Amino acid sequence: MSIASDLIRGHTDTIILAHLLEGDSYGYKINKEIQRKTSQQYELKEATLYTAFRRLEEAGCISSYWGNELTGARRRYYSITPEGERTYERLKEEWNTAKQLIDILIQSKKEDAADGK
Amino acid sequence: MENRLREYMDDLFGEIPPTKQAVELKEEILQNLIDKYHDLLAEGKSPEAAFNISVASVGDVDELLSGLTAGYTPHPCQDQETYIKQKRKSALLFSTSIMLYILCVLPVIIADSVGYDIIGVCLMFLMIATATGLLIYNHMTRPRYAANDGTIIGDFREWQEYNSGSRQTFRAVNSAVWTLATVLYLIISFSTMRWNVTWIIFLIAAAVQSIIRAAFELRK
Repeated sequence: MSIASDLIRGHTDTIILAHLLEGDSYGYKINKEIQRKTSQQYELKEATLYTAFRRLEEAGCISSYWGNELTGARRRYYSITPEGERTYERLKEEWNTAKQLIDILIQSKKEDAADGK
Repeated sequence: MENRLREYMDDLFGEIPPTKQAVELKEEILQNLIDKYHDLLAEGKSPEAAFNISVASVGDVDELLSGLTAGYTPHPCQDQETYIKQKRKSALLFSTSIMLYILCVLPVIIADSVGYDIIGVCLMFLMIATATGLLIYNHMTRPRYAANDGTIIGDFREWQEYNSGSRQTFRAVNSAVWTLATVLYLIISFSTMRWNVTWIIFLIAAAVQSIIRAAFELRK
């Protein structure tokens, strides 16, 4: 998880935006979803998660409000803005391009030859 | 154990000024940790293990916290400079008016020795009026505590400043009323020698004071 997590951390914004596209949510719920989807292989640190929230909110990609739970626990919910949806599309496009390029670049000929046999 | 999580967060935010933003962020992360802690307990972890896992999941908060301290400058230099300048101006106005109060008897004494007592009295009133005007002007233009940094303390100071501000104006006007009343009383009494009637001036002064107080209350 250590090296992979560095790679994934660069896409925290995209991951958060993708989750908010499905509906408003709060920090812990998003993190739990991430854990569930990755079968406990990946989990965001709180610090990373909330830094990303602040950054996205400042950029106008998400907005937040305090929920009024009846059970004492006060949670801050986040929802995606139209600007955030555009950003999500752009980031996803960028990642797809990068993924293709990296796939091409890290392919070694030796391996290709081995595959060919 | 929830208290221990709270303590841990308090510790983490120890050096951070308690702005609204910081307090909310702390509350938000704490709620997150409490949720996680309870989930871990439900999974069958021991309280100690659950606490440790929750705390470990916070990670490196330096970047997050530096974002909170970055916008926080308690006393911007330029504000401080203008504040000192205004303070100096205010001190000058204040001492000038006190000087006028002290010197206002001089024209009376001088004019009296020459023989024009009316001019002396007029000059004295002019000086008193100028001094009082200066005092009130000084009070109204005095620099306020404007550096509200978003902390609760800042809000409180502003509120305090606002309250004591209107109280001080009231006191200034009040003392002017009584000084004027005393001066009027002495002058009229000495010039007419009708001491049996002139004390009524103090009753009038009391009435004026009540009217001023009412005006202040209404303005609030």
